Amino acid sequence: MKARVFVYVVLTAYAVISLYPFALMVSGALKDAAEVRLDGHLIPSDPTLATLAHTWSELHFFTYFGNSLFVTGLTTVGVLVVYSLAGYAFAVLRFPGRRLLYGMFLALLFVPGITMLLPVVILQQKLGLIGTFPGIILPFVNGTAPLSIMLLTNSFRTVPAELKESARCDGAGELRTFWSIYLPIGRPALITIALLTAVPTWNEYVLTRVSLNDASRYTLPLALQNLNSSTAPQENVLMAASLIIVIPVIILFVLLQRYFVNGLQGAVKG
Amino acid sequence: MASRFRSREAWTGYLFVLPAVALFAVMGLYTVGYGLALSFAQWNGFTPKWTWVGIGNYLDLIYRDPAIAPVVQAAALRTLVVMIAVPVLTVLVGFPLAVALNHITRLRAAFRTVFFLPQVTAGIALFYAWTYALQPDGSLNYILRHLGLGSIAQPQGWLGNPSTALPTLIVVMVLGSVPVAMLLYLTGLQSIDQSVVDAARVDGASGVRTMTSIIWPLLLPITGAVVMLNLRYALQDFQTFLLMTNGGPGGHTLVLGLESYNLAFVSGFKPTLGLSSALGWILFVVALLLAGINLRVLRSRA
Repeated sequence: MKARVFVYVVLTAYAVISLYPFALMVSGALKDAAEVRLDGHLIPSDPTLATLAHTWSELHFFTYFGNSLFVTGLTTVGVLVVYSLAGYAFAVLRFPGRRLLYGMFLALLFVPGITMLLPVVILQQKLGLIGTFPGIILPFVNGTAPLSIMLLTNSFRTVPAELKESARCDGAGELRTFWSIYLPIGRPALITIALLTAVPTWNEYVLTRVSLNDASRYTLPLALQNLNSSTAPQENVLMAASLIIVIPVIILFVLLQRYFVNGLQGAVKG
Repeated sequence: MASRFRSREAWTGYLFVLPAVALFAVMGLYTVGYGLALSFAQWNGFTPKWTWVGIGNYLDLIYRDPAIAPVVQAAALRTLVVMIAVPVLTVLVGFPLAVALNHITRLRAAFRTVFFLPQVTAGIALFYAWTYALQPDGSLNYILRHLGLGSIAQPQGWLGNPSTALPTLIVVMVLGSVPVAMLLYLTGLQSIDQSVVDAARVDGASGVRTMTSIIWPLLLPITGAVVMLNLRYALQDFQTFLLMTNGGPGGHTLVLGLESYNLAFVSGFKPTLGLSSALGWILFVVALLLAGINLRVLRSRA
C-alpha cells in the first residue's frame, strides 16, 4: 500500500514538471503587460484574454497559422504520396537495384541536419526557391524519407500475397492493386507517418529561419521568434503566441496518440 | 513470356520509386556532394569563385587556426559533456518512470499522455516558455524562494549564470528525450515473462534484487537503443542551444552544431562557409562511427 502511494507521488511529481512549461504559457498569456513584468507568480491576479486576441488578430497570427497549416499540410500529403508509392515498390515489386536503393534511403538517417542545411539553402538559391514554400517543403519531404520508407515498406510486407494474386486474377493493374488493397491495409502506418511528419514540420524552426525572408510568408515559429527579437519583447505576448503554436499539436497528440506510440516503437525496432 | 512479365514488373517498380529517388537525388545526393566539395574550399557565399584549400579547413578547425581551433575544441568538449549527460540522465529518469508506470493500472494512460507533452511540442514555443521560467525574476526562482530554497535561486537567471547555463539546457533536453525512453522501457517491461520474475520471488529475491539482477539485464538491449538514440540527439541538436542561449553567456553553451551554424549563417562576408561544411562533415563522421559501434555491439550480442 505504502509502495503504491509512493509510486503515485513520484508519477505526479514528474507530471507536474512535464506540465510546468504549459502552465507558464497559460499563466503568461492571461496576464497583462504590467503584471507579466512582476515577479513570476503563476496565478494571474486579473486574468484577461485580451493578449491572446491581440496576438491572434493585430499581430497577424491568423496569417502565420494559415502559413504553418499550408506548409505542414502540403509536406504531409507529399510524404504520403511519394513514400507510399516507394514503399509499395520496395515491399512488393522485384526490380534490379532494389536493395541498393532501399539502403541508400536508410543511410540518410545518419546524415546530421546541420551537414545538409547550408547546401540545401544554396540549392534553394540556385533553383530560385529561396523564400518560397516549395523551397522548404521539398527538403522537409525528403528529410522524412528514411523513416517513412522503412515503416511503409514493413507495413506493406505484411499484406498476404494471396490478396495480390486474387486482385491480379480479377484483372486489376498495379496502380489499382496498390490503391484498393495495399493502401487500405496500410492505413494505420499511413496515419503514423502523417503524424510523425506533421508534428516536427509544424515545430520546425532552423531551415525555415534561414530560408524564409518575407514576413508575410512566416510560419508560426518564425513569427514567434520575430516577436522576441523586436526591441521590447513582451512576455505575455510571447506566451500567448507559444500557446497558439502548441495547442494544435497537443490536440492532435491526445486524439491520435495510439498511432504516435506505435510509430515510435516501430521506428526503433526497425 | 515469363521474362517479359518480370521486366514489366521491374519498370513498374522504377516508376513507383521515381518520385522518391528524384527528390533524393536533388535534395539528398546533390546537397551532400556539394557540401563535401565545399568543405575543401574557402568561400563567403558572395564571390563567384571558390578558393580550393584541400584539407586545410579540417586542419584549421582541429588545431591550426589560432582564432577558430580553440573555440572548436571548447565546443567539442561541451558537446561531449552533453553526449554523456543526456543519455545517462535519460536512462536514469526514463527507466524508473517506466517501472512506476508499469506498477499501476489506474491513470496509466493519463500519466503517459502528460509525460509525452514536452516531447511532441519540442520547439521554439516550449523553449521560450522555459526561458521565461528561468529568468532572474522568473517563475522558477519565485517558486524556489517561496519554498524556502532561496539559496539555490539564481539571481542572474539560470541561463545567465555561466556555471548553470549548460546543465540547465541539458535538463531541458532530457525532459524532451525521457518520454520515448520511458515508452520503450514500458514495452520491454510488458514483454518480460512474469514466471521468471515470480520464480525469483519464490527463491527469496527482494524487489530491488529482482530489479537489478533480472529485469535490468533483460532490458539491456532497450538501454542500448535508448543510449544510441540520445547520443545521436545530443550530437546533432543545436536548436535548443540556438533558441535558449545562442551559445551564451560568453560562449559557455556553444556546441559544435551551433558553431557550424554560426560559421554558415552569421559570419557576414567572412569566407567561413567551407569551415562550416567541414565541421558538419566531422559531425557526420562521428555519427557514422557511433552507428558502426552500435551495429557491432548488436551483432556481438546476437
